[in-house]
Order: sequence, then C-alpha cells, then structure tokens
Amino acid sequence: MLGALFLLIAGGLYIYYVHLESRWTPQAPVAWQSQLRDQIASNQEEIANLEQVKQQSRGGTIRVGGRGGADLTVDQAIAQAKQAISDDQYLIDNNIAPVQSFAIAQASLFALGGIVMFLLIRIFGWLASEQIAGERSDRTITILLSRPPSRNQVLFAKALSSFLISLAVVVVTLLIIYAMFTFWFGSPGSLTDQAAVAIDGAKPLGPGNLLQMPIYLFVGMCLGAAMLGVMCVQGMSMLISVLTGRWAAIGITLAFLFGAPLVSTVVAGILFLISGSQDSSHFLKYLFFNVLAPVGSVAPTFGNTTATAGSGLNEFVSEVETLAVWTLGFFLAAWLLFRRKQEAG
Amino acid sequence: MWGHDPRLDCDRMSALVEVEGLSKSFGRVRALNEVSFSVDKGEVLGFLGPNGAGKTTTIRILLGLLHGDGGTAKIGGHDCWTDHALASRFFGATLEQPGFYGFLSGRDNLRQFARMLGSVDEKQITELLDLVGMTERADDKVKRYSMGMRQRLALAQALLGTPRLLVLDEPTNGLDPNGIHGLRILLRNLATEQGLTIFFSSHLLSEVEELCDRVVVLHRGEVKASGPLSELMNIKGFRYRIDVSDVDKALEIVHGVDGARAEQGTIKDSINVTADHDIARQINHVLVSAGVGVDQLVRTEQGLEDVYIQLTGVPVASPLSSPAAPQ
Repeated sequence: MLGALFLLIAGGLYIYYVHLESRWTPQAPVAWQSQLRDQIASNQEEIANLEQVKQQSRGGTIRVGGRGGADLTVDQAIAQAKQAISDDQYLIDNNIAPVQSFAIAQASLFALGGIVMFLLIRIFGWLASEQIAGERSDRTITILLSRPPSRNQVLFAKALSSFLISLAVVVVTLLIIYAMFTFWFGSPGSLTDQAAVAIDGAKPLGPGNLLQMPIYLFVGMCLGAAMLGVMCVQGMSMLISVLTGRWAAIGITLAFLFGAPLVSTVVAGILFLISGSQDSSHFLKYLFFNVLAPVGSVAPTFGNTTATAGSGLNEFVSEVETLAVWTLGFFLAAWLLFRRKQEAG
Repeated sequence: MWGHDPRLDCDRMSALVEVEGLSKSFGRVRALNEVSFSVDKGEVLGFLGPNGAGKTTTIRILLGLLHGDGGTAKIGGHDCWTDHALASRFFGATLEQPGFYGFLSGRDNLRQFARMLGSVDEKQITELLDLVGMTERADDKVKRYSMGMRQRLALAQALLGTPRLLVLDEPTNGLDPNGIHGLRILLRNLATEQGLTIFFSSHLLSEVEELCDRVVVLHRGEVKASGPLSELMNIKGFRYRIDVSDVDKALEIVHGVDGARAEQGTIKDSINVTADHDIARQINHVLVSAGVGVDQLVRTEQGLEDVYIQLTGVPVASPLSSPAAPQ
C-alpha cells in the first residue's frame, strides 16, 4: 500500500514536471559555475531595477521585501544584492562549489530539514508515545515487567526499536527524494567532491566564513542532526508514555508538538511588536520544539539565498547542542521515572 | 533450564514465598498493613478476601509491579523489587483481566513472551496450548477471544519456561463451569504431578476449599487468619442450627451470650450459631428459660464460607453475579 502511495506521488510529480518544463526527459546537467553566473546576472539586473525605483522615489522612503522576509529600504536591498554578487564571485574565483550544487546535498536539505522532517518527527513522536503507554492500556505491561528483563532493559529496547524504525524511514525518504533531485538535476552528482557551507549566513563569504567538506560528510552531518531531532521527540514521548495510558500519551504528545511551536511563534510576534527587534525572541531557540530540524539552519551559499540572519553552521551547531541537552534530559527523566513507576493497575 | 546459577537454587528452602510485615498505602488509603505469610514449596495456598482486601496489591508487589512502603516480599529468597530479575525467574503469573496483544494470535503472543525468558522452544508453546485446551484457536487473533479463552491463554503464558511457582490472581474469572472444572483438575495435576507451588487468589471459596492445602484470609489489608484448612475450619468453634419459635427474640438473646455468634438461618424459623460446645448448651438453656421454644439444636458441618464470613463479616458473593472489581 505504501509502495502504491509512493508510485502515485511520484507519478503526480512527474506529470507536474512534464507540464512545467514541457519535456519528458530530465534536462542536461548544468555546471555550478554556470548557475552562479546566472545568479550574478540576475542580481545585477535587480540592482539596476532598484536604482530606477530609487530615482523615481525622489528621496522618499520605499520599503521592499528583502531576503529572509525582512522589510528593507531600497538602499539596504541594493547592498544585499551587491553582497550576493560578491559572494558568488568569490566562490567562482576560488573554485568552491556551494553545497546546493549536488543532488544528494539538495535532497538532504529538503528531506532532513524541511516540511518532510516536520511531519515525520511528529509521526515518530506519536509512535514512541505508545511504546510504554500502549502496553499499559493493553495491560500487557504486567507481563512485561514481571518477567526477568529489567525495567532498564525494557525502556532501552523500546527506545532503540523506535529509533531504528525511524532511522530506516528517514533513510528511505532521503533516498526517494535523492532520486527525485537526480531527475531534476539531470545527474546523480558527485558524492566525494568538496562542498562549501557558510559559517555565519549573515556575513559575507570569505576565507573565515566558509567551511568546505566532502559531500558524504555533509550528508552524514545532516542525517545525524535530523536523527537527533527525532531522538529528542522520542525522548519526550517516552517520558509522557512512562506516565500515562495510550490515548493520553498520544494526545499530549501531538498537542505539544503541534501547539508549542504555534504558541512560540505568537510569543515571538508579540515580543517583536514590543521591542521592534528579532533578537528579543532569540531565547525561544533554546526550546527544543523550535529547533527540531537543525538542518534547516545550514545556510545556503548561493548568492540569491544568502545573508539570512540566524543561519549557518554556527546556528546549526547551537541548535544541535540545544537538542542534545534536551534529548539527554528527556531520556534521563524517563529512565528515572520508569524505574520507580508503580503499576497499580 | 535455569542453568547452574546458585542464586536460583531453592532446594534448601522451605518457603518459596516469604512476606513479612508488608505495608502499602495509596495516598491516605492503607491497602496493606503489616501483612505476613509464607508459601511453602510444593503447597497450594489460597488467598482469600473480599474486594478491596489487598489481594491484588499483594500479588502486584510479589510480581515486582509495585513496591511496598514497609516490610519485605521475597520469592526464592530474592526481594521482589530490588532483586526482581532473580525473583522473577521462579514464577509465572497471571493477573485478573489478563492483557495480550490483540492483533497477534494466541500462539504469537506466547512466542513474544517466551522471548523474554530466552530458552522456551516452540515445542513447549505447542504443549502448553494443548494443556490449556487452546490448540484449535491458537492461530486466531486474540482480539477475537472470549474472556475465558484469554484466561486459559494467560495460564499458558504463566507456565512458559516451567516456573517453580504459579501466582494466579482470580484465575477463574470469565470461565464457564466446564472451564472452572478443567482449571481445577489442571492445577491439582500441576501441584501433585509436577510439584508446582501454587499461590492463588479467588473469590470462589469452593475452589479454594477443594484445591488448597492452606489459606490466608485477608481483610482490609490485614491477615485475619492463615493456616491449614482443617485447622481454620475448627478454630472458630462449631456451627449449630437451632429451630426456634421466635427468631427475632432468639437472635437478641444469643447476641448477648459471650463467645457466640448468630445470624438468621436460611431455613424458616431457624438461626445459625457459631460457638464452642459448652456455650451451645448454655444457649439452649438461656433460650428455653426466656420462653423461646427450641424445637431442635443440630450441629452442622462448618465450611470455609462460614469461616470466611466470620473473619471478614462480608457475605460471599455468588460467582454468577460477581464481576471482578478493581482492588
């Protein structure tokens, strides 16, 4: 059934591609240098347009949508476009391929850091919340806990099985999306070339603000970070599962995973209205549900999509650290509670 | 099958289960208060008490699902909570309303639980299914099983790994008369032929009376009596039926006699009295002196039911109308 569903989605996407590109076959691969030159030309055109807007405004203040969604003055938008050109030129001059030049890297960013992971993480959280709570509701927990395996072993086995199943699903998802990007790129691309990632997405690219690594390492890094997010949610779900029955566990887990980011967004919005600064809500980044997919923070280094504050490897590492602390805390709490939990029936 | 781990050796022990001064509270409710008893190797011990007496709480402590607030509970010399891994090697257990994975067949459920024991082979699973009369339905999903079938599967589960002690909490719940009869024979065979020690709670006193060597009567978290059935049935005196001309007056008079206990009889114009031989004579004299006609005074056989009522003050519920209540 899952296979049929996949074929249906793949068929739909293929029809969409044919309709969009007016062709039945993949396009020929384009060298990353050519892509960057196209971006430079596009940015130069944008600067010319902005200069024209500036002259027509005759000194008045016009705000335009900048990259990352922020409102900018025309001067700020021009400066941003110039920075993007400079970044792209730096990459071409130094023969450094941006990470999005590779189908597998692009697939990693999409599959492990976007909407796909957002949904998968919630499904994994739901499944993990049933692990102990489901046994309690089915009353099989009395057999489970009265048999020789210790509670530590039971909890470890439950956590490990949840993790391994989710790992298999994530890897298969990544491979499917890689296949799609291979079609889109016209080539599976290299797995061993070096790719570059910005360290701080808000700063100009340069020797101190660019990290090069082999593509396979980048993919491994993304997969590791994505699975840490999964583990964190599974830890939270296990903690809830240890304390309640099946439906309470599922309800609390899903309400939290969908509701908490929503509440957090509202709080961030209120703080922005009060202070006028995005920095005032930075502390929300220390809440695990806001950083469940750190891969989304790896800054793209294409000119057109750079210069986003709060992105880059530094942000990625910070989010991974936050997740690691929460994950450890959740599993520790689940372990401490489960080993003393009284099953009164 | 347990290898040669000396910690699992119980040859020199006399008591397989030792409960000493066990107490347990849930919030303000005192579920167990200084409960002490033991189950000797090879014996069948019945655990009696009305709903809420603390039977299931005691059994849950023995299974390592709860831990007591005070006292100790040991199986095979190992503490049931702190040394659970070893204690659990000695027993197989069922709790009332047994739970299984409904989406798996009975056989697959047993396979699943057998994995936790490590050394159970397919042959034993098949034998156990046959033993509890579940061979024909073994490959059906458990969600289609009746309560009685679940009870039988639970017993097979408890027997996985050939335990030395069987702990059964209300094992006859949901069984029809044939099932109860079959279970009685099975448990008796397990005890006599395989030397299995059996500790079971039941509200069916006839079962306990027929199966058990000893009983422990629990009421409001306290042990009211324990010992061999023969001793227990005599310890509280003899039982008499007195046919009288005025039941109400007779009851009033007998209630005033020290060492006697009376209730209205099930036969018309009769009262049932429990008292020692001398006191029975005295009662006869007092009744006649007070003008109550005594047609006859007959000594009747005292059953476990009478002892149970005396000890707990709770009438025995009919097995046909008593659903299992949570304790």
